[in-house]
Amino acid sequence: MLAFFLRSLEAAMIFTFAGVGELVDQRGGVLNVGVEGIMLFGATLGFIVTKTTGSYTLGFVVGVLVGALLGLLHAFFSVTLRVDQVVSGMGIWIFGFGITTYIGSAYTGPLGLERLPTIGGLSPFFFVAVALVGVVWFVLDKTSWGLAVRSVGEAPDVADVSGISVTRIRYACTIFGGALAGFAGALYALYYNPVWNYNFLMGWGFIALALVFFSMWNPILLLGGAILFGTLWQLSLNPELLLPGLFSRYIWRTVPFIVTILVLVLISTDWFRSRWGGARPQALGEPYVKE
Amino acid sequence: MFGRRTPANDLADEFWANVQPGEVLLRAQGITKRFPGGVVANDHIDFEIRAQEVHALLGENGAGKTTLMSILFGLLQPDEGEIYLRGHPVRFSSPQDAIRYGIGMVHQHRKLVPAHTVLENILLGHPKARGVLNVREAAEEVAAIAEMYGFNLDLYARVWQLTEGEKQAVEIVKALYRGAHILIMDEPTSALTPVETDRLLEAIERMTANNLGVVPFITHKMPIIFRISDRVTILRRGRVVATLPTRDTNERELAQLLVGREVLFDIQKPPATPGDVVVEVEHVTARNDKGGLALNDVSFSLRAGQVLGVAGVAGNGQHELAEVLAGLRPVEHGRIRFLGRDITTASVLERWQLGIGYTPAERTEVGSIGDFTLVENVTLNYFWDERYVQNGLLNEKKLRALTESIIETYQVVTPSPDVKAKTLSGGNLQKVIMGRVLSRQPKLVIANLPAQGLDIGATEFVQRRLLDARAAGAAVILISEDLDEILMLSDIIAPMYEGRIVQLIPAEQADKETIGAMIAGGRTRANA
Repeated sequence: MLAFFLRSLEAAMIFTFAGVGELVDQRGGVLNVGVEGIMLFGATLGFIVTKTTGSYTLGFVVGVLVGALLGLLHAFFSVTLRVDQVVSGMGIWIFGFGITTYIGSAYTGPLGLERLPTIGGLSPFFFVAVALVGVVWFVLDKTSWGLAVRSVGEAPDVADVSGISVTRIRYACTIFGGALAGFAGALYALYYNPVWNYNFLMGWGFIALALVFFSMWNPILLLGGAILFGTLWQLSLNPELLLPGLFSRYIWRTVPFIVTILVLVLISTDWFRSRWGGARPQALGEPYVKE
Repeated sequence: MFGRRTPANDLADEFWANVQPGEVLLRAQGITKRFPGGVVANDHIDFEIRAQEVHALLGENGAGKTTLMSILFGLLQPDEGEIYLRGHPVRFSSPQDAIRYGIGMVHQHRKLVPAHTVLENILLGHPKARGVLNVREAAEEVAAIAEMYGFNLDLYARVWQLTEGEKQAVEIVKALYRGAHILIMDEPTSALTPVETDRLLEAIERMTANNLGVVPFITHKMPIIFRISDRVTILRRGRVVATLPTRDTNERELAQLLVGREVLFDIQKPPATPGDVVVEVEHVTARNDKGGLALNDVSFSLRAGQVLGVAGVAGNGQHELAEVLAGLRPVEHGRIRFLGRDITTASVLERWQLGIGYTPAERTEVGSIGDFTLVENVTLNYFWDERYVQNGLLNEKKLRALTESIIETYQVVTPSPDVKAKTLSGGNLQKVIMGRVLSRQPKLVIANLPAQGLDIGATEFVQRRLLDARAAGAAVILISEDLDEILMLSDIIAPMYEGRIVQLIPAEQADKETIGAMIAGGRTRANA
């Protein structure tokens, strides 16, 4: 039972890294639906580098770098070229899925290295994730950088005439979000589930994306949501632990995704909007065109 | 620093030390701006602003006001000409440059983040707001400035909760906190209640007493020039026509300089000849987009040949009333009858076919489709009409002829009926929208802010067409935030406040002060 909860918290840790990155991205007004693709890239390249060199550090560095690079690519498409952000993000996902399957299949199998150390049965990165949530909350709410990010996400024209560079802020947020997604992917493949096989990420990037909406763009709520989803995921792997004999595990496995869909339906209702509508960055998904 | 383009220190403090009363603060000389296509928006404009002076800039839409304002604020760079600040030539390559030199801008369409607090909006982009925000210290400084100019601001309120006057106060305080010595104000009194206007004038007096220069840009609302300004410069077709001390001129002279011909200010309204009751609204209640109560037990009836003037400050239910009548918003309680028929739940199309016409306030969002041609936009009101559509096929020839006749009758300036609607100016677009509605000879016309943002010439034209419709026996519901317009055109006046009609007043018993007090509810948030 303890193992179950530790494992849930570690899943939550990965959702949190990817989700917090996406949250910052969205608070700055850029929607990146390609989190899954960036995580796949971070996971696969990190896995290959670590497997070949035997260095975990190098694997994580590559994961972060490739994530940042894909973030940069998304920023270039959505901020500079002003293409539809959903199209660009879906492109990154499809691209990531195809390419990582192609280059990763040769490395199918376990990582085959000694496991990374833990603190009290938890990855030290779990505590980093919790700290990161606190830091991101503080920066967004209490600093001039956070004010700049939030203003760019709410009303880029206002930020512009107030002396904030919309382009620079949006690039910074999108690259930050990409780097964290890449790191989350590497953490998944190097620690949480160090075995490469086809579609091994199983949609975790999309769960992280949904978590941002679920959290109403609040990092603290995002952490709570991540723990809830992490638990649901573990439950889907071991349903007999809590409810023995009820449904097959394959049905349970759909639960996190069904909850995701329900959350997305809920937040798009008038009822939700009239109560919580203020939480959504008003310029989310809209390219900024100077008048 | 991350995300900021300007150097850390403002030039303002040393640059603006020891300003003498009456000193020329800013002089623009020979400002010329040409746009691709050969349009000369500004043609050798000379203009100056002194300390302790309010120097108004008056011009119709298209006279080059916006271009000049953009140049003074660094959004555009002039092709020729120089700007001098206290005698030093300066160049603004961005608004940040202008702000650093002590130029403040109060936008007509407020540049504020609605979801953020007043204080966050004021701090955004301020050089003092670096790293971790020192909210308490900033709040004290901002509160001191607000108090100095007589503004009562709740620094922790969200901007979306504020009235237009309060939002404007936030912009003014933001500019002053940033160290502005010259304040440019775009249409400063539009959308303000009479009480808020008084407060603004008082704040401007305090600014000039503090050696600041104030430059209001004004399109219409000419009476305000005489209350606000010491000098006035009139622009026409990109040129300065005259610069006059305000006390030496009058409205008629200004209007003539502005338009280039004599303008008849008082539209003579022929006496009313009321016919049968056209529309009856009984105890109607409706909600706004956010789910709040927008219309609260509204009742009135209107006869053919009458104009009902719905007066009010934006956001008091007038907009929802127009939408409820046009069928764009559901009625929660109550009934609407049109020519004796219950149309409470009738569709938009049914209402059109029965003879209701609606000209929306949002000309570019609701009133027209920017990427459609004028013919297509006119078609949008006729696609169901058997005269223009046979067996589901549009009769393009007839629709084109109809559009051409609208263009001619309504004096729309356009190269052809095939240009896209978004290429027309606001006034011309409004003429197309009015034309397509009125040419159906509706029995009820709902005109939502018909003259908002139009220049004097177009305003006069639109107002005359509404009176023509009245003379032709239509009932007209005119929604306006301009009390002069309401008093001039209406037979019955309905001042609205917080979703209710305060009282239905026959026009001959109405005066501006009473109506003004009613639409302000006798109190406003700012002085509560």
